Amino acid sequence: MNDEARLENLAKRLGARAAERLDVEATARKVVERLREQPVRRIVWIQQTWLRIAAALVVLVGGSVVVSRLTPTRSGDSPAHGAHFVADDLNDLSTEQLRDVLATFDELVKSDSVAAPEGNTDLRDLDARQLRAVLRSLEG
Amino acid sequence: MAHPLPLSETSSDAALILAWQSGDEQAAAELVGRHARPLARFLAGAGAPEADVDDLVQETFIRAFRSVDRFRGQCQFRTWLLTIGGNVLKDFGRRAARRKVMPLDEAVRDVTGDPHEHAEASEAEELLAAGLQKLPRLQREVFLLRAQQGLEYDEIAAALHTTPGAARVHYHHAVRKLKEIVE
Repeated sequence: MNDEARLENLAKRLGARAAERLDVEATARKVVERLREQPVRRIVWIQQTWLRIAAALVVLVGGSVVVSRLTPTRSGDSPAHGAHFVADDLNDLSTEQLRDVLATFDELVKSDSVAAPEGNTDLRDLDARQLRAVLRSLEG
Repeated sequence: MAHPLPLSETSSDAALILAWQSGDEQAAAELVGRHARPLARFLAGAGAPEADVDDLVQETFIRAFRSVDRFRGQCQFRTWLLTIGGNVLKDFGRRAARRKVMPLDEAVRDVTGDPHEHAEASEAEELLAAGLQKLPRLQREVFLLRAQQGLEYDEIAAALHTTPGAARVHYHHAVRKLKEIVE
Protein backbone atom coordinates (compact mmCIF):
# COMPACT_ATOMS: atom_id res chain seq x y z
CA MET A 1 0.00 0.00 0.00
CA ASN A 2 1.46 3.37 -0.96
CA ASP A 3 1.65 6.33 1.39
CA GLU A 4 -1.29 8.16 -0.15
CA ALA A 5 -3.59 5.16 0.16
CA ARG A 6 -2.45 4.68 3.74
CA LEU A 7 -3.25 8.30 4.52
CA GLU A 8 -6.70 7.91 2.94
CA ASN A 9 -7.37 4.82 5.06
CA LEU A 10 -6.35 6.68 8.17
CA ALA A 11 -8.52 9.65 7.16
CA LYS A 12 -11.54 7.38 6.73
CA ARG A 13 -11.17 6.24 10.32
CA LEU A 14 -10.72 9.78 11.58
CA GLY A 15 -13.73 10.97 13.55
CA ALA A 16 -15.36 7.53 13.39
CA ARG A 17 -15.63 7.35 17.16
CA ALA A 18 -17.33 10.76 17.38
CA ALA A 19 -19.75 9.72 14.66
CA GLU A 20 -20.59 6.46 16.39
CA ARG A 21 -21.24 8.22 19.66
CA LEU A 22 -23.64 10.65 18.07
CA ASP A 23 -27.27 9.93 18.93
CA VAL A 24 -28.69 10.79 15.53
CA GLU A 25 -32.35 10.65 16.54
CA ALA A 26 -31.77 12.90 19.53
CA THR A 27 -29.77 15.29 17.37
CA ALA A 28 -32.57 15.41 14.79
CA ARG A 29 -35.10 16.07 17.54
CA LYS A 30 -33.01 18.89 19.02
CA VAL A 31 -32.47 20.48 15.61
CA VAL A 32 -36.19 20.46 14.87
CA GLU A 33 -36.96 21.90 18.33
CA ARG A 34 -34.42 24.66 17.87
CA LEU A 35 -35.78 25.50 14.44
CA ARG A 36 -39.26 25.67 15.94
CA GLU A 37 -38.17 27.83 18.87
CA GLN A 38 -36.13 30.22 16.76
CA PRO A 39 -38.05 30.69 13.52
CA VAL A 40 -36.28 32.29 10.63
CA ARG A 41 -36.45 36.04 10.96
CA ARG A 42 -35.82 36.52 7.29
CA ILE A 43 -38.83 38.73 6.60
CA VAL A 44 -37.87 41.09 9.41
CA TRP A 45 -34.31 41.11 8.14
CA ILE A 46 -35.45 41.91 4.62
CA GLN A 47 -37.67 44.74 5.89
CA GLN A 48 -34.79 46.19 7.90
CA THR A 49 -32.49 45.93 4.92
CA TRP A 50 -34.95 47.72 2.63
CA LEU A 51 -35.50 50.41 5.23
CA ARG A 52 -31.76 50.98 5.45
CA ILE A 53 -31.47 51.14 1.66
CA ALA A 54 -34.40 53.58 1.45
CA ALA A 55 -32.90 55.77 4.20
CA ALA A 56 -29.54 55.81 2.42
CA LEU A 57 -31.24 56.81 -0.85
CA VAL A 58 -33.14 59.64 0.85
CA VAL A 59 -29.93 60.94 2.37
CA LEU A 60 -28.08 60.71 -0.96
CA VAL A 61 -30.81 62.35 -3.06
CA GLY A 62 -31.55 64.99 -0.44
CA GLY A 63 -27.88 65.73 -0.02
CA SER A 64 -27.28 66.06 -3.74
CA VAL A 65 -30.27 68.43 -4.10
CA VAL A 66 -29.00 70.62 -1.26
CA VAL A 67 -25.46 70.63 -2.65
CA SER A 68 -26.65 71.50 -6.17
CA ARG A 69 -28.65 74.42 -4.79
CA LEU A 70 -25.87 75.69 -2.59
CA THR A 71 -23.11 75.34 -5.19
CA PRO A 72 -22.81 78.52 -7.29
CA THR A 73 -23.09 78.01 -11.05
CA ARG A 74 -20.20 78.86 -13.34
CA SER A 75 -19.85 82.57 -13.87
CA GLY A 76 -20.40 82.33 -17.61
CA ASP A 77 -23.61 80.36 -17.27
CA SER A 78 -25.57 82.61 -14.99
CA PRO A 79 -26.14 85.70 -17.19
CA ALA A 80 -26.86 83.60 -20.23
CA HIS A 81 -29.50 81.64 -18.36
CA GLY A 82 -30.91 84.85 -16.92
CA ALA A 83 -31.03 86.54 -20.28
CA HIS A 84 -32.73 83.52 -21.77
CA PHE A 85 -35.49 83.53 -19.17
CA VAL A 86 -35.93 87.32 -19.36
CA ALA A 87 -36.11 87.11 -23.14
CA ASP A 88 -38.78 84.43 -22.93
CA ASP A 89 -40.71 86.49 -20.41
CA LEU A 90 -40.53 89.60 -22.57
CA ASN A 91 -42.42 87.90 -25.36
CA ASP A 92 -45.25 87.23 -22.96
CA LEU A 93 -45.60 90.84 -21.77
CA SER A 94 -48.14 93.26 -23.18
CA THR A 95 -47.16 96.73 -24.40
CA GLU A 96 -48.40 98.28 -21.18
CA GLN A 97 -46.43 95.82 -19.04
CA LEU A 98 -43.32 96.40 -21.11
CA ARG A 99 -43.72 100.11 -20.56
CA ASP A 100 -43.98 99.59 -16.80
CA VAL A 101 -40.83 97.47 -16.78
CA LEU A 102 -38.97 100.08 -18.76
CA ALA A 103 -40.20 102.84 -16.51
CA THR A 104 -38.75 100.95 -13.58
CA PHE A 105 -35.50 100.52 -15.44
CA ASP A 106 -35.63 104.20 -16.31
CA GLU A 107 -35.60 105.07 -12.69
CA LEU A 108 -32.71 102.74 -11.94
CA VAL A 109 -30.55 103.33 -14.94
CA LYS A 110 -29.75 106.69 -16.37
CA SER A 111 -31.14 107.10 -19.84
CA ASP A 112 -27.70 107.98 -21.25
CA SER A 113 -26.56 104.37 -21.23
CA VAL A 114 -29.68 103.00 -22.90
CA ALA A 115 -29.67 102.41 -26.62
CA ALA A 116 -33.03 103.94 -27.34
CA PRO A 117 -34.18 104.44 -30.90
CA GLU A 118 -32.79 107.60 -32.33
CA GLY A 119 -35.03 110.63 -31.83
CA ASN A 120 -37.43 108.82 -29.48
CA THR A 121 -36.88 109.53 -25.79
CA ASP A 122 -40.50 109.25 -24.66
CA LEU A 123 -41.36 105.62 -23.88
CA ARG A 124 -45.07 106.25 -24.47
CA ASP A 125 -44.38 106.80 -28.14
CA LEU A 126 -42.73 103.38 -28.62
CA ASP A 127 -44.63 100.35 -29.86
CA ALA A 128 -44.21 96.82 -28.40
CA ARG A 129 -41.43 95.83 -30.81
CA GLN A 130 -39.38 98.93 -30.02
CA LEU A 131 -39.96 98.52 -26.29
CA ARG A 132 -38.71 94.93 -26.48
CA ALA A 133 -35.62 96.11 -28.36
CA VAL A 134 -34.91 98.68 -25.65
CA LEU A 135 -35.38 96.10 -22.89
CA ARG A 136 -33.11 93.61 -24.61
CA SER A 137 -30.44 96.26 -24.95
CA LEU A 138 -30.72 96.82 -21.21
CA GLU A 139 -30.16 93.12 -20.57
CA GLY A 140 -26.73 93.51 -22.16
CA MET B 1 -47.96 20.44 8.56
CA ALA B 2 -49.22 17.84 6.13
CA HIS B 3 -47.02 16.81 3.26
CA PRO B 4 -48.49 15.91 -0.12
CA LEU B 5 -46.26 12.85 -0.52
CA PRO B 6 -45.11 10.45 2.19
CA LEU B 7 -41.46 10.92 3.04
CA SER B 8 -39.37 7.82 2.97
CA GLU B 9 -35.79 6.74 2.83
CA THR B 10 -36.06 6.80 -0.92
CA SER B 11 -37.00 10.49 -1.09
CA SER B 12 -34.18 12.48 -2.61
CA ASP B 13 -32.44 15.19 -0.63
CA ALA B 14 -33.92 17.71 -3.06
CA ALA B 15 -37.45 16.47 -2.31
CA LEU B 16 -36.78 16.66 1.41
CA ILE B 17 -35.42 20.18 1.08
CA LEU B 18 -38.55 21.24 -0.80
CA ALA B 19 -40.71 19.63 1.86
CA TRP B 20 -38.78 21.43 4.61
CA GLN B 21 -39.15 24.73 2.76
CA SER B 22 -42.90 24.21 2.80
CA GLY B 23 -42.75 23.70 6.55
CA ASP B 24 -42.38 19.93 6.94
CA GLU B 25 -40.35 19.32 10.11
CA GLN B 26 -40.23 15.58 9.45
CA ALA B 27 -38.29 16.31 6.26
CA ALA B 28 -35.72 18.25 8.28
CA ALA B 29 -35.42 15.36 10.75
CA GLU B 30 -34.93 12.92 7.86
CA LEU B 31 -32.13 15.07 6.42
CA VAL B 32 -30.43 15.19 9.83
CA GLY B 33 -30.72 11.40 10.07
CA ARG B 34 -29.07 10.96 6.68
CA HIS B 35 -26.16 13.31 7.06
CA ALA B 36 -25.43 13.73 10.77
CA ARG B 37 -22.83 10.96 11.07
CA PRO B 38 -20.74 11.91 8.01
CA LEU B 39 -20.89 15.50 9.24
CA ALA B 40 -19.73 14.42 12.71
CA ARG B 41 -16.81 12.52 11.15
CA PHE B 42 -15.87 15.55 9.09
CA LEU B 43 -16.04 17.92 12.05
CA ALA B 44 -14.05 15.60 14.31
CA GLY B 45 -11.50 15.07 11.55
CA ALA B 46 -11.22 18.82 11.06
CA GLY B 47 -10.40 19.30 14.73
CA ALA B 48 -13.67 19.57 16.65
CA PRO B 49 -13.28 18.36 20.24
CA GLU B 50 -15.26 15.16 20.62
CA ALA B 51 -17.31 16.63 23.47
CA ASP B 52 -18.52 19.43 21.21
CA VAL B 53 -19.28 17.44 18.08
CA ASP B 54 -22.98 17.04 18.91
CA ASP B 55 -23.46 20.80 19.42
CA LEU B 56 -21.50 21.60 16.27
CA VAL B 57 -23.56 19.14 14.23
CA GLN B 58 -26.76 20.75 15.49
CA GLU B 59 -25.47 24.25 14.77
CA THR B 60 -24.44 23.22 11.26
CA PHE B 61 -27.92 21.85 10.49
CA ILE B 62 -29.60 24.92 11.96
CA ARG B 63 -27.50 27.20 9.74
CA ALA B 64 -28.07 24.99 6.72
CA PHE B 65 -31.85 24.88 7.13
CA ARG B 66 -32.02 28.62 7.66
CA SER B 67 -30.03 29.37 4.54
CA VAL B 68 -31.28 26.51 2.40
CA ASP B 69 -32.75 29.05 -0.05
CA ARG B 70 -29.16 29.79 -1.07
CA PHE B 71 -28.49 26.14 -1.92
CA ARG B 72 -28.75 25.98 -5.71
CA GLY B 73 -27.84 22.35 -6.18
CA GLN B 74 -24.35 23.27 -7.39
CA CYS B 75 -23.13 20.25 -5.42
CA GLN B 76 -24.70 17.53 -3.31
CA PHE B 77 -26.57 18.66 -0.21
CA ARG B 78 -24.13 16.74 1.98
CA THR B 79 -21.12 18.46 0.44
CA TRP B 80 -22.75 21.84 0.95
CA LEU B 81 -23.52 20.85 4.52
CA LEU B 82 -19.90 19.89 5.16
CA THR B 83 -18.69 23.28 3.97
CA ILE B 84 -21.14 24.94 6.36
CA GLY B 85 -19.75 22.65 9.05
CA GLY B 86 -16.28 24.00 8.23
CA ASN B 87 -17.54 27.56 8.82
CA VAL B 88 -19.27 26.57 12.06
CA LEU B 89 -16.04 24.97 13.27
CA LYS B 90 -14.06 28.07 12.35
CA ASP B 91 -16.45 30.26 14.36
CA PHE B 92 -16.21 27.80 17.25
CA GLY B 93 -12.42 28.10 17.17
CA ARG B 94 -12.65 31.90 17.24
CA ARG B 95 -15.02 31.86 20.20
CA ALA B 96 -12.74 29.43 22.01
CA ALA B 97 -9.77 31.69 21.35
CA ARG B 98 -11.66 34.72 22.69
CA ARG B 99 -12.57 32.82 25.83
CA LYS B 100 -8.89 31.94 26.17
CA VAL B 101 -9.80 28.30 26.02
CA MET B 102 -7.25 25.96 24.52
CA PRO B 103 -6.73 26.43 20.79
CA LEU B 104 -8.41 24.03 18.40
CA ASP B 105 -5.26 22.08 17.59
CA GLU B 106 -4.86 21.28 21.27
CA ALA B 107 -8.56 20.75 21.75
CA VAL B 108 -8.48 18.03 19.13
CA ARG B 109 -6.25 16.04 21.45
CA ASP B 110 -8.64 16.70 24.31
CA VAL B 111 -8.79 13.70 26.61
CA THR B 112 -12.36 14.01 27.80
CA GLY B 113 -14.29 10.79 27.55
CA ASP B 114 -13.23 7.21 28.09
CA PRO B 115 -9.43 7.00 28.41
CA HIS B 116 -9.48 3.40 27.19
CA GLU B 117 -11.09 4.49 23.95
CA HIS B 118 -8.48 7.17 23.50
CA ALA B 119 -5.80 4.60 24.06
CA GLU B 120 -7.30 2.54 21.28
CA ALA B 121 -6.85 5.29 18.74
CA SER B 122 -3.79 4.44 16.77
CA GLU B 123 -0.74 6.59 16.97
CA ALA B 124 -0.93 7.18 13.24
CA GLU B 125 -4.47 8.50 13.54
CA GLU B 126 -3.42 10.89 16.25
CA LEU B 127 -0.51 12.05 14.17
CA LEU B 128 -2.79 12.59 11.21
CA ALA B 129 -5.31 14.51 13.35
CA ALA B 130 -2.53 16.70 14.71
CA GLY B 131 -1.04 17.11 11.24
CA LEU B 132 -4.35 18.25 9.80
CA GLN B 133 -4.42 21.10 12.29
CA LYS B 134 -1.13 22.36 10.87
CA LEU B 135 -2.54 22.65 7.36
CA PRO B 136 -4.21 25.76 5.96
CA ARG B 137 -7.98 25.48 6.26
CA LEU B 138 -8.58 25.00 2.54
CA GLN B 139 -6.01 22.19 2.27
CA ARG B 140 -7.44 20.51 5.36
CA GLU B 141 -11.00 20.65 4.05
CA VAL B 142 -10.06 19.49 0.56
CA PHE B 143 -8.10 16.59 2.06
CA LEU B 144 -11.00 15.54 4.29
CA LEU B 145 -13.60 15.91 1.55
CA ARG B 146 -11.47 13.79 -0.77
CA ALA B 147 -9.82 11.24 1.52
CA GLN B 148 -12.41 10.91 4.28
CA GLN B 149 -15.66 11.60 2.43
CA GLY B 150 -14.56 10.16 -0.91
CA LEU B 151 -15.71 13.09 -3.05
CA GLU B 152 -14.56 13.82 -6.58
CA TYR B 153 -12.55 16.96 -7.35
CA ASP B 154 -15.43 18.44 -9.37
CA GLU B 155 -17.74 18.12 -6.40
CA ILE B 156 -15.16 19.56 -3.98
CA ALA B 157 -14.45 22.46 -6.33
CA ALA B 158 -18.15 23.31 -6.68
CA ALA B 159 -18.62 23.31 -2.91
CA LEU B 160 -15.52 25.37 -2.14
CA HIS B 161 -15.94 27.80 -5.05
CA THR B 162 -12.70 26.83 -6.70
CA THR B 163 -11.65 24.85 -9.75
CA PRO B 164 -11.12 21.09 -9.89
CA GLY B 165 -7.48 21.74 -10.79
CA ALA B 166 -6.97 23.96 -7.77
CA ALA B 167 -8.70 21.41 -5.54
CA ARG B 168 -6.33 18.74 -6.85
CA VAL B 169 -3.32 20.95 -6.11
CA HIS B 170 -4.58 21.63 -2.56
CA TYR B 171 -5.05 17.91 -2.03
CA HIS B 172 -1.55 17.03 -3.17
CA HIS B 173 0.01 19.76 -1.05
CA ALA B 174 -1.94 18.40 1.93
CA VAL B 175 -0.87 14.82 1.24
CA ARG B 176 2.79 15.82 0.90
CA LYS B 177 2.77 17.67 4.22
CA LEU B 178 0.80 14.97 6.02
CA LYS B 179 3.16 12.25 4.80
CA GLU B 180 6.05 14.09 6.37
CA ILE B 181 4.17 14.40 9.65
CA VAL B 182 2.75 10.89 9.85
CA GLU B 183 6.00 9.22 8.86
